[in-house]
Amino acid sequence: MKLARKLLLIDRRIIFLLVLAGAVIPILFPIGLAVQVSPPVRAVFQRVEALRPGQTLLLSFDYGPSDGPELDPMADAILRHCHKRGVKVVGLSLFPLGGVDMAFARLRQLATELGARDGEDWVNLGYKDGGQAAMKAMGDNLALVFPVDANGVPVGEIPLMRAVRNYNDVGLAVSLATSVLGEWWINLVNAQFGVDVAVGTTAVSAPKYYAFMEAKQAVGVIGGMKGASEYEELVAEAYPDLAGLSRTATVGMDVQSIVHLVILFFILFGNAMFLATRRTRQEA
Amino acid sequence: MKKQVPILLAVVASLCPVVGFLLPQPWVDEWMNRRLDEWMVIIASFALVLGVVSVVQVNLHKVRRRSRGWGFSLALLLSLGIMSAFGLFGGQGERADGSLHPFTWVFQFAFSPLQATMFSLLAFYVASASYRAFRVRNVEASLLLVGAVLIMIGRIPLGQAIHPLVPQIAEWIMQFPNTAAQRGIIIGAALGAAAMSIRVMVGIERPYLGKS
Repeated sequence: MKLARKLLLIDRRIIFLLVLAGAVIPILFPIGLAVQVSPPVRAVFQRVEALRPGQTLLLSFDYGPSDGPELDPMADAILRHCHKRGVKVVGLSLFPLGGVDMAFARLRQLATELGARDGEDWVNLGYKDGGQAAMKAMGDNLALVFPVDANGVPVGEIPLMRAVRNYNDVGLAVSLATSVLGEWWINLVNAQFGVDVAVGTTAVSAPKYYAFMEAKQAVGVIGGMKGASEYEELVAEAYPDLAGLSRTATVGMDVQSIVHLVILFFILFGNAMFLATRRTRQEA
Repeated sequence: MKKQVPILLAVVASLCPVVGFLLPQPWVDEWMNRRLDEWMVIIASFALVLGVVSVVQVNLHKVRRRSRGWGFSLALLLSLGIMSAFGLFGGQGERADGSLHPFTWVFQFAFSPLQATMFSLLAFYVASASYRAFRVRNVEASLLLVGAVLIMIGRIPLGQAIHPLVPQIAEWIMQFPNTAAQRGIIIGAALGAAAMSIRVMVGIERPYLGKS
């Protein structure tokens, strides 16, 4: 049992090295495991699919760089889906710690990739402080909260915004949220204004949104990198010409699979050693 | 007067949205909903300024007194000053020639990688902590462990490769036991928030005066 005790006190740098190996090896040698789509992600996809060309999707970038690896692929997949279907995208951010820059990067990159026109197919309204207050005021008039877009152009001069006055002109609102903002979109924008809301969030935050989804207050939930990879899969299935584009989340799932296995191994192994030492103590 | 005026303002301001919600009259909607929403956005922006002032004061004090870790405070103040200057006077996003404004450049090539690095370190610490601390000491901990293992396997493609039922079990856990627990937490928190709001409305709770 000395061995078990020694293993319980293993140097944590060895654990770090194994996690590092679990992260690096699948990047160098991809496994390409198939992704199975879960009902909450399929529900979001189907709701976007149900939007008619020319309808508007409000995409709120409510996250910062720390959550980019999980939420950027979601933004990319949704934007590809919208641009491909001719759904107009109004991007904005209510998250102070870099949300506006995440919006800048994603909207610009995806528009370049699919040839979508700034001001006609999509617009970036920028960041506004105030959270719930801003959400509530947008229900009356978007221009009240965002009088100019992120480039300083008055919204009245933006062709896309002439048809979007408030939530009545929005087919679906999607919040890519890392904080409580996702909940606010649901319990304020959905509950008070009746707008369909879908949430994309980190894997850690996803469980709380299931309650809203089951209550039909949220259309669906895209949870973590797994959810993003499922959305990528659905877009690739529905639009084969987009299948060749980069699928960051799908590639990342190999890494996540192996790192999960490494962590599971440590949990189970640690408990086996713990039980072995406890039994020895009891016998003694 | 120092106490009464803020309390009166807080009570009136907190009752306005309630009255606005319950009385569907145009003038009520105009004054108690639209105007108040505009004010809230403006006040929230001032709160941000207040936060910056507070951060500057605290860290400036540390630097002046050469308190422990004052170097970090200096770095914070310099970063705050430089990024504020870039943001206020240098523009944001891309220039017409496709190059990035300084604020966006620093955000993209310094802030983003640093934040991503901090967050990715979690994987290493989670692995180490779960090895040392996640123990089946009792029935509750054992149930937690079983749930965690099923979710962790079910939420990766490998779970599907092991058996098609694994992701379905994970989804069932998320849909039913998880949803039940989450509803309890959400309803409890909402009731707590409602009770707290009523206490603020009637002036029992006065956090804006610096004490309850």
